[in-house]
Amino acid sequence: MPPKELVLETNDLGYAYAPDRFAIRHLSVGLHRGEVLGLLGRNGAGKTTTVRLLTTLLPPTEGSATVLGMDLRTGGRALRSRLGVVLQSESLDFVSVERNLTLYAFLWGVPREVAKSRAEEMIELFELEAARPRKPWALSGGERRRFQVARELMHDMDILFLDEPTVGLDAIARRRILRYLKVRAERGLSIIFTTHILHEADLLCDRIAILHLGKLIALDTAEGLKQKYGGAREVSVGFVTPLPAPLRLELVAGLQARGAVVVEPVSAVTADRIAFRATGAEELLPWLSQWAHSRSIAIERMSVEEATLESAFLGMIGEADEPEDGEEKEPPTDHLPPGRLGGLA
Amino acid sequence: MKLPPVLRLVVRNFASNLDPLTVTIRFGQPAVTIIVLGTMFSTIISSSVTGGTSYTAFLVPGMIAFQMITGGVVSGNLFWLDRRWSMVEQVFSGPFLRAEYLGALVLTSLLFSLVGVGIMMLVGLPFIGLPSLSVLGTGAVLLTVALGSVFFAGLLIALGTRLRSANAYFSIQSFLQLFVIFLSTVYYPVTSKTPKVLAVTFYVNPLTYAANTIRDAFSGSLGGSDLVSLGILALLAAITFGLAVLAFRSMDLGPIQ
Repeated sequence: MPPKELVLETNDLGYAYAPDRFAIRHLSVGLHRGEVLGLLGRNGAGKTTTVRLLTTLLPPTEGSATVLGMDLRTGGRALRSRLGVVLQSESLDFVSVERNLTLYAFLWGVPREVAKSRAEEMIELFELEAARPRKPWALSGGERRRFQVARELMHDMDILFLDEPTVGLDAIARRRILRYLKVRAERGLSIIFTTHILHEADLLCDRIAILHLGKLIALDTAEGLKQKYGGAREVSVGFVTPLPAPLRLELVAGLQARGAVVVEPVSAVTADRIAFRATGAEELLPWLSQWAHSRSIAIERMSVEEATLESAFLGMIGEADEPEDGEEKEPPTDHLPPGRLGGLA
Repeated sequence: MKLPPVLRLVVRNFASNLDPLTVTIRFGQPAVTIIVLGTMFSTIISSSVTGGTSYTAFLVPGMIAFQMITGGVVSGNLFWLDRRWSMVEQVFSGPFLRAEYLGALVLTSLLFSLVGVGIMMLVGLPFIGLPSLSVLGTGAVLLTVALGSVFFAGLLIALGTRLRSANAYFSIQSFLQLFVIFLSTVYYPVTSKTPKVLAVTFYVNPLTYAANTIRDAFSGSLGGSDLVSLGILALLAAITFGLAVLAFRSMDLGPIQ
């Protein structure tokens, strides 16, 4: 299969809110047509700044980026007219939900008939029927968020930016939106998606970029990240018959010698099982099998805790948070002064 | 057919933020002023004070001039609400130029003022009849209101880019309105008995130039002083619009209350 077209590419992109004070720096990342790229990171990691940079709300102070073949700095209206943006902050007009949808479509120049049928589709898809005649301030938090995503989907676009679109949504609404986005991505829509709900990123994203203190520290598939950064995982082993005391001690010593931390030591009461945590837990399994086999001990069951994106994320952020000797940490970016708009472009 | 971006934004401005109650109050207040204040003061104020006309005939051009504030306030408030509800960012991330958004605000203000002019003329009709406006006079009235609405829109938009609290914005806006209206010749003329400090202050106020020019247009006595007034209004409008553009270029999009 030919490689998919690259619709967005950044090279060392950065934004400094003051001389030498960067909210994001050295960001080099690509997005392919139909790909969903997740941006994960702690509060103030630079996710929203990245979205604002890539949607021209902030002017980059260093590096370059190409979006849909256009330079980010000079693309202006031609570039923005092919983007969709769901901002983190609530944005709304003071008319009913239905009118908001059609009015937004009008702003984007969507023909009236198309707008009407699309509004019906969005109202149904995002379960906004009851909210249809209500003004946005009369909606619940979840309804407002659903409305905001629905409104952005009223117009056509090539790339959709979603800055924490599922905040405040119940599990069913969240799943419904994610499923719909997945379908749109399969039809060719490229999506950049920020979230704090790691399970969502795991479900939706083809690749995930982890940002920390304004820097990209990892970029891979969810599986790749779990493999690389999943960290210590727990292994549980059950034996057919309880182990005699000398063998119990020998097993614990053997595991500890290989870097494992025994979390449920075999005692007289629990002599038929053992649990331990280890980084690269799978690598200990052949040794354990061999050890049992050579001592004619039958293993009844053996299970390894599944690596999660959360454990990978925690592993990465934990490592990145540890400053090296003499290294000064950057200030948290959630205390940045608000961004400037730049010139009239 | 797709409308040009500025017009799409103007339609959106009218459709989204102008609820019937607000519109009624905005136009209703000066209309009631003409009816009540005009009627009541006509009985107690001598026409010699108001240049030989009834007080209502004096007041109607003043209320027409007042429409430039109404228009300016409408677009200033629109902008403030757009900032408050993040619609500025939403529009800026769409297929619009920032200049178009600013232009649409000013155009909204202009249209609102001109509609207001029509309404005030209609309200004044039963009291003063149809004013004998020449083509030049009509042009002078429209140009005056247009320049004035650009002035006030520019001023309030520039203010709106800088203030982060709704309380501060609306307090300053109300204070400005009060100050501008009462320290002008909208309600009363400057006479030889007017205290000097007040008379000078009146002529620092663009609304005075607007009210005087419109009165002269209504009475068919436009002259050189009105040309100077229009020139001053044009200059002030250019200054506040320039301020609004500058303020837009460096506007914070951070959270506001």
